[in-house]
Amino acid sequence: MHTKDEIFEKVQTALVDALGVDEDEVTPDSTLTGDLGAESIDFLDIVFRLEKAFDIKIPRGELFPESILTDAQYVKDGKFTEAGLSELRQRMPFANLDEFAKNPVAQEFGNLFTVDMICNYIGQKVAVA
Amino acid sequence: MRLEGKTAIVTGGSRGIGRACVKSLAAEGAKVALVYHRSQEAAEALVTELQQAGREVRAIQADVRDVRRADEIVEQLATDWGRIDILVNSAGVIQDGLFGTMGPEAWSVVIDTNLTGTYNYCHAATKPMLSQRQGSIVNISSVSSEFGARGQVNYAASKGGINGLTRCLAKELAARKIRVNAVAPGMIETEMSEAVRNLIGDRIKQVIPLRRVGQPEEIASVVVFLASDEASYLTGQVLFVDGGMSLGAY
Repeated sequence: MHTKDEIFEKVQTALVDALGVDEDEVTPDSTLTGDLGAESIDFLDIVFRLEKAFDIKIPRGELFPESILTDAQYVKDGKFTEAGLSELRQRMPFANLDEFAKNPVAQEFGNLFTVDMICNYIGQKVAVA
Repeated sequence: MRLEGKTAIVTGGSRGIGRACVKSLAAEGAKVALVYHRSQEAAEALVTELQQAGREVRAIQADVRDVRRADEIVEQLATDWGRIDILVNSAGVIQDGLFGTMGPEAWSVVIDTNLTGTYNYCHAATKPMLSQRQGSIVNISSVSSEFGARGQVNYAASKGGINGLTRCLAKELAARKIRVNAVAPGMIETEMSEAVRNLIGDRIKQVIPLRRVGQPEEIASVVVFLASDEASYLTGQVLFVDGGMSLGAY
């Protein structure tokens, strides 16, 4: 059983170790790519560290569904289609997509991934006190 | 010793080039786990020999085509050792035959063992190496990967695939200081090449500028170099260690 604070602390540690950033840089609103400088290779390491920290399995593409970006029915002319947004909502129930949906530019997809979003995802996978 | 404190996994480590790699890596101070498929006696004899010499070596049975076993083995070793520094993908099979008579089984077993087996262990080892921000992967390819030889469509395809995998993976993992290289041996004196060497006989020496077949130790020495910090600026390369065979006939 984890409290929300415990989840945040473990996620914070995983991100600090994976990205080589300082603890105070990792706040709930920090974006992985923008604020914390994560690259695609880092996402793999983050997944591995979260799996270890919480003793869970994170199926490929469940936390970071990057494959959506290369699917022509979901992204067209650099923007998510309605089908793409629907698919995102289905695959990322732990993410708040309302703001993004107003102007769903594919290049901004990375900014969806905040520390808070990861905590929400973990909260859905583990028992929360 | 160039690899003191390092840990290494060698697939196909009970025989041939893999065996030579196990011996050379251990001689340089690395802790080594060799993965073997069927040659239990040879694997255990090698472990005994090296342990008596004071080296830390263990043998693990697995078919490299089994992706779950690859994950299990690498995860267990990473837990036991704390890290995985070196992976050598040497497990390989050969089933030569003219293409017209090459059935699906002969195609699949070679592709699945040589290429998919390499994928399986690279994939498993990527996890600890990414977290370590350090690692060296050496894949055993072949001179056949680039130069056509009759009767080796399956083998050449598998080794050509290894070359492509090596280059792409090197580019992906470089940011995390994980180097990925391949060694492409020419004609080497191993059990696996015995039938081909017997078939061709001394004619093979006419296409090898150094006028002799190579020894497994001569491949292993290059693998050790690539695995070591001496090759710290080398990644994404396929090194042909073939006595000059790939230079062509003229």
